Amino acid sequence: MATTQKVLQYKQPQKSYDVIIVGGGLHGLATAYYLARYHGIKRIAVLERRYIGSGGSGRNTEMVRSNKRAHETLPFYKESLAMWDGLSSELEWNLMVQKKGLLALAHSDGELTSMRMQSDGQRMAGIKIDMLSPAEVKKMVPSLDVSDKPALPVVGAQFHPEGGTVHHDAAVWGFAKTAARLGVDLCTGVEVVGFNTVGEKVTGVKTNVGDISSDRVHVAVGGYSSEIARMLGVKFPVSTIPMQVMTTDVMAPFLDYYVASPRMHWYTQQTLKGDLILGGQLDPFPSWNSYTTWEECSERVAMILQYFPDLAHVRVVRSWSGLCDCTGDSAPVMGPSGIDGLSLDIAWGYYGFKSTPACGKYSAEYIATGLMPEKIKYFGLDRFYNRQRVREVIL
Amino acid sequence: MAFLINCPNCGRRNPYEFRFGGECKQAPGPGADAKAWCDYLYFNENMSGPQDEWWYHNMGCGDWVKVRRNTVTHEITEE
Repeated sequence: MATTQKVLQYKQPQKSYDVIIVGGGLHGLATAYYLARYHGIKRIAVLERRYIGSGGSGRNTEMVRSNKRAHETLPFYKESLAMWDGLSSELEWNLMVQKKGLLALAHSDGELTSMRMQSDGQRMAGIKIDMLSPAEVKKMVPSLDVSDKPALPVVGAQFHPEGGTVHHDAAVWGFAKTAARLGVDLCTGVEVVGFNTVGEKVTGVKTNVGDISSDRVHVAVGGYSSEIARMLGVKFPVSTIPMQVMTTDVMAPFLDYYVASPRMHWYTQQTLKGDLILGGQLDPFPSWNSYTTWEECSERVAMILQYFPDLAHVRVVRSWSGLCDCTGDSAPVMGPSGIDGLSLDIAWGYYGFKSTPACGKYSAEYIATGLMPEKIKYFGLDRFYNRQRVREVIL
Repeated sequence: MAFLINCPNCGRRNPYEFRFGGECKQAPGPGADAKAWCDYLYFNENMSGPQDEWWYHNMGCGDWVKVRRNTVTHEITEE
């Protein structure tokens, strides 16, 4: 029988806190949870101007993986992927973690070589990766066309068995519920409009419901970090670009793996419900508008139909988009902001969802100790001035 | 897409004919230090609102066009 009891209570913010987290998405909630649970900080507020999980947290394609390229980031993504396994029991909330495996298709010899180099790097970091032939791919995904028919045929694939999906709304509610139970104040409808600083030190935030004081403020605002930058009078190395996603009719199960083509910018997976999630490319220009377009839908569908011709009768029933704050080097910005007490967790582009647990853990560690944890030391804002940009490629 | 870009050679055209060329920035002068160049190269104003931008008409005349676009509403303000 369904319960009528509220899962969590939203609060009005108090006048002062030990830590204020700006942004009630997954990263903000996870940071609040790890702070409250592992660092013993009790007076924490999460300020969200709309509703919990309204931005990228609930708009991503639920993919979790660690098959990135840059050796600086691989241990971080590997840990994050492993952390999802234990989270359902830790949060006492079913996150529907399904490590079904991720197939990244290659369409040329050059791409295959690039993938092999990438796989070697990943194996060095202890990530399980296999290279597969088209025949092996066909065995795993019988509906995939590996013949010469598509304009760019499948010549091989990279298999990442630990990759998979996690239900994003379940993750939002799991972190929110557990953080609230640990005494974190979740304040929705509270919009930060400015920061109070004394000298080079932050002393609190200005909101639409009045000033709230705190000497530690954490910014985890997903696709909206440039609005924060303008309040602070600085610039961040980001562009805000929407990413569009579509879902189809519900079908009987036929696709066991997450199938992606990094070269042709498409990926698809069949959810537990049975619909396909289609997506894969950022829009060609920046925008702050979560629109969806015919151009994106038709292009993505045309790409996917080359490889899954049997899907020609399937309808796209729904589409949405989310804002991605992308840096030039496909890596986030974490840690110090240049203002004492103000820490950053921004510029997560399209790889923020899978990083949530590790990101929350290390953001919390940074806020609590003031020391940059080893695993995120390459993500600092100063890397753009020190010629230490992360050598990531887009995947 | 619900907006058109006014190309001086081709008239009002679909934005998918263009390639986005970034926001208009002031390049550092010849005596500028490395920090100024890093700011110029990597850091963006990234406005949520009217912003001056470069667009390259790669499927048209091949000219660079300066456009003032509202990044929230996609409204193009005529020069």
